[in-house]
Amino acid sequence: MQLQKEGKKQSGGGPELSIDSVTRTGSKPKIASVRKTWSMFWKAVVLMGFIFPFLWMISTSLQTFEETMKFPPTWIPASLQWSNFVEAMSSGPFLTYFKNSVIVTTSIILIQLAVMIPAAYAFAQYKFFGNKILFGMVLLAFMIPGQVTFIPVYLMLADAGMIKSLWPQILPFMSNAFGIFLLRQYFMQIPQEIVESARLDNASEFKIIWKIMIPMSMPAISTVALFSFVSHWNDYFWPLVMTDSEAVRPLTMGIAMLRETEGISNWHIIMAGNVVLVVPILIVYLFASRQIVKAFVYSGIK
Amino acid sequence: MNKKLSAIVLAATTVISGVLAGCSGTQSESSAPTPSTTQPSASTPAGKTTVQFWHSLGGKNGEYISAMIKRFNDTHDNIEVVGTFQGSYDETVTKLQQSIAAKTAPDITMLERAYVQMFAEAEVLEDLTPFMAKTNTSKDDFPEGLMGHSVFNDKIVSLPLNRSTPIMHINKTMLDEKGLAIPTTWEELKKVSEALVVKENGEVKRYGLSMPYDTWYPIAMISQAGGKFFNDDATSIGFEKGEGVKAFQYLKDLQSTGALYYPPAQDSGNIVNQMFTSEKIGIMFQSTGVMGSVKSNAKFDYVTAFLPKDVAFATPTGGANIAMLTDSTNKDAAWEFINWVNTDPQGGQQFILDSGYLPFTKKMVESEPIKELWAKDPNRKVAYDQLQYAVDTNKDVAWPQIMQEFFKAIQAIMYDNKPIEPALDTFKKEAERLLSE
Repeated sequence: MQLQKEGKKQSGGGPELSIDSVTRTGSKPKIASVRKTWSMFWKAVVLMGFIFPFLWMISTSLQTFEETMKFPPTWIPASLQWSNFVEAMSSGPFLTYFKNSVIVTTSIILIQLAVMIPAAYAFAQYKFFGNKILFGMVLLAFMIPGQVTFIPVYLMLADAGMIKSLWPQILPFMSNAFGIFLLRQYFMQIPQEIVESARLDNASEFKIIWKIMIPMSMPAISTVALFSFVSHWNDYFWPLVMTDSEAVRPLTMGIAMLRETEGISNWHIIMAGNVVLVVPILIVYLFASRQIVKAFVYSGIK
Repeated sequence: MNKKLSAIVLAATTVISGVLAGCSGTQSESSAPTPSTTQPSASTPAGKTTVQFWHSLGGKNGEYISAMIKRFNDTHDNIEVVGTFQGSYDETVTKLQQSIAAKTAPDITMLERAYVQMFAEAEVLEDLTPFMAKTNTSKDDFPEGLMGHSVFNDKIVSLPLNRSTPIMHINKTMLDEKGLAIPTTWEELKKVSEALVVKENGEVKRYGLSMPYDTWYPIAMISQAGGKFFNDDATSIGFEKGEGVKAFQYLKDLQSTGALYYPPAQDSGNIVNQMFTSEKIGIMFQSTGVMGSVKSNAKFDYVTAFLPKDVAFATPTGGANIAMLTDSTNKDAAWEFINWVNTDPQGGQQFILDSGYLPFTKKMVESEPIKELWAKDPNRKVAYDQLQYAVDTNKDVAWPQIMQEFFKAIQAIMYDNKPIEPALDTFKKEAERLLSE
């Protein structure tokens, strides 16, 4: 974060000046500093690419309807329209939506962790009959999108009378193929000696998982949990097809409802809704970002 | 050995739950935290019939339809209508398909008019004729132009609700500055659009005409040129005598001079609306549904007019109908609601006044509030009057798939500058294949 900020500051006149100095001297430290400036410049460019939509969303959420309709677009609202947030939140049972989002996402993460960790442990630590085939099937699950399975899943859950509950949004995500894959890679890197010495001390499998694997893989586990959180918190398609009534719907559905079916949408209200949707993700991200970077460095995915 | 076994079991269970992605749906999963399952509307007092009504209206229109449902519920002690938003028109169709199969479908639903036939053919829409007879209503109570998607095999399977048509929106101030009259024919429209173009250093700063990326407008133009989208036997397209080529050639000619701005596909409706209200284009073809918000944003003299004619005036219709599902167990209550929407001044009539959709019964058109509205806002009357030229020629079960193919043809012609005739020939072949299925 700090680096990128500096990069932005230097990006102004930095690059040309540095190229100049290369041609003049060409000494090694100079080249290094040119490289550094360039890399910071590009980081700043990439950062802007990611941050731009966010800034636009926040700006739009504080504009008046007239400002959102202007062309060229308004960047800074004349006066901040906080009432947009009130209007967005009062347009439906947003407290219910929020509660449902929280329950669904937390349940998914907890169940997934309970399923994923032992599975990844088994795949990482044991050579048993068919383990490759089973692991291949995990990867297969990784590749099947929800759009393929949603109709049979809906029919089955409707048959079980669950459509009016939150289960259809939770049960299908009990297991997380990507998570099993990532954690397996991570567990495989934990030195075998540690596991073996624990076995010599008669530690149970559960104890090995709980006392060794989990503490040593916190970065990977928190990464998987965070990815899972973001994808389920933001999910629109699955709740759309699995819920028929307001009472079980998450925030994303509430925000989709702010859009006009025909005619001109009130983008300032929609964006206010989106800000509310995104803020919890940003908060979680701030806390977890360090862990994620660690996880990717270790697992070699980087 | 023991450990190995437990490892296999562990891995196997996860794999199964993973691959089946929820098909495993393990209902014995009782140890997991129980999510709260608030029952929405099932908790109705004894003797009250609950009618589930699915709709696709979000935003302001969503509020207006919820208000209408509330007015019904407030005045009917024995019926509770529960209106639920189910996503866009297309998403609602998907949801209906799966819920009909799962027997969780609602009693009544809003259905985008082009999808009505698909459901009617599947025989899942109730014939409303007997209900209408009981309440002394008939299809003559509705404007003919809006009934194009209501009758299939002599059954009335849906009735109009939130209907719209494309119409020509005009920045009259801009035309007046150039001393131009409102165009009524393609020829005049061409002259006016070209006259409105402003170029600076070879770059177009102001366009004459625009329209969203949609099948609606080419279909309108094909009908205006004397063609039909499908032939009468529904075996092929109905614009083989060059009507399609003529319509697209007209658009390409205008596009090449800068007179037509054809917007990018993504969010094209919003783009043309914004360009129109910020005076970057003088005329746009767009839904009647945007009149209210354009009017409140336009800082110029804003008027509407019929889509110009080539050999004839013609316009397709849009928006959605209301339909009752055959599987409903509350048909009488559901009909009471539909009938109330059609006849009560607090029903559909008020919804029309609020939302700006077209009045959909003859009685509404003659009512005082609608007359007052039209006196105040003549643009809305223009929209209704254009209905006398309403013609829907893209009716077929295969329309949803054919629409995708037609979009491809539009893309090829309007974006990729492909020659028009081959593009339409390709489309024709695909359409014939889909129609014969």
